[in-house]
Amino acid sequence: MSTDSGRPASSEPALMDWFREQGSALVGFSGGVDSTYLAAVALDALGAGSVLAVIGRSASYPEVQWENAIALAHRIGLPLLEVVTDEMNDPRYAANPSNRCYFCKSELWTRLIPVARERGLAVIVDGTNADDIGGHRPGRQAASEREVRSPLAELGFGKDEIRRLSRARGLPSWSQPASPCLSSRIPYGTAITAERLARVERAEAALRRVGVTGDLRVRDHDDLARIEMPAESLAGWIDPDRAVVLAVAVREAGFARVSLDLRGFRSGSLNILGGVATP
Amino acid sequence: MSAGGGAALGHALLARGIRASVEARGSLAVLLPLSDPEAFADAAVRDQVLALAREHGFTHVAVELLGAPRVSGTNAP
Repeated sequence: MSTDSGRPASSEPALMDWFREQGSALVGFSGGVDSTYLAAVALDALGAGSVLAVIGRSASYPEVQWENAIALAHRIGLPLLEVVTDEMNDPRYAANPSNRCYFCKSELWTRLIPVARERGLAVIVDGTNADDIGGHRPGRQAASEREVRSPLAELGFGKDEIRRLSRARGLPSWSQPASPCLSSRIPYGTAITAERLARVERAEAALRRVGVTGDLRVRDHDDLARIEMPAESLAGWIDPDRAVVLAVAVREAGFARVSLDLRGFRSGSLNILGGVATP
Repeated sequence: MSAGGGAALGHALLARGIRASVEARGSLAVLLPLSDPEAFADAAVRDQVLALAREHGFTHVAVELLGAPRVSGTNAP
């Protein structure tokens, strides 16, 4: 049986068997759709005594996502550890090159390897899925260099299937939008600072409070904020009487000027702007 | 993308009845509507603007939101 993508259909029993073959696992956990599903299956297959989910926390990790991840872990009974990562103090990361994620993930996995070793966990896994293969993903190189496994990708689980299986398990994460780190709001070549990250985080939180829903990003262009929201929402918010609400919210977050992207939310938008990907 | 690209896009928009100044920031065109900002609520107008912007070498287009006083200077941390 094949999926719409032509890949052989993956199966949850195969994923459970994969984990049983490992015996124990440390799961790089963000609270997103993929890592939550992966951790839930690992927990089922191995039991709480042989699984540890670890959150890597830094200024680039949105507060709301951290809170959500904690709540999810508690909800499903997932053993959880939080580790502070220090990629912000790596000048190679802070310079924000197009392979920034390589340095971020290198820092993360470097922090997690000793944890796995100390606790006798056989394998470190991440939530990379089959749809993530290809495209601009420098973080995958860091995982590969440190023998971090990606069973969802290895076994052919695509995003839609993960959402479907998550929903079947009753995981509230099944319908979550993608939640990349806050550094994804900063164009390549613009230095990443804690202050910039906090500013975009404040701006996005403010827009949520005034009622913007769905996929939302506030892209940082120094003095100018560029809001990306779902294309179907643009008509409602571009009316001047409503647009002023957006402008005030984002200016109060610390931007001098506010703009609204006419195409709407686009995953990987800054990869296109930075010439790393084609439109 | 140079300021010349922004001016050329501005002329192209005007030829189609869309009055806006264009600030070129690399591949990003920032439009400041000079009249009828509500016109951009029309998806057909947005599509037309995006197509024109692509023809002039821009990958992104954003319309600046006013209505509240602009803060002078930059707040870039």
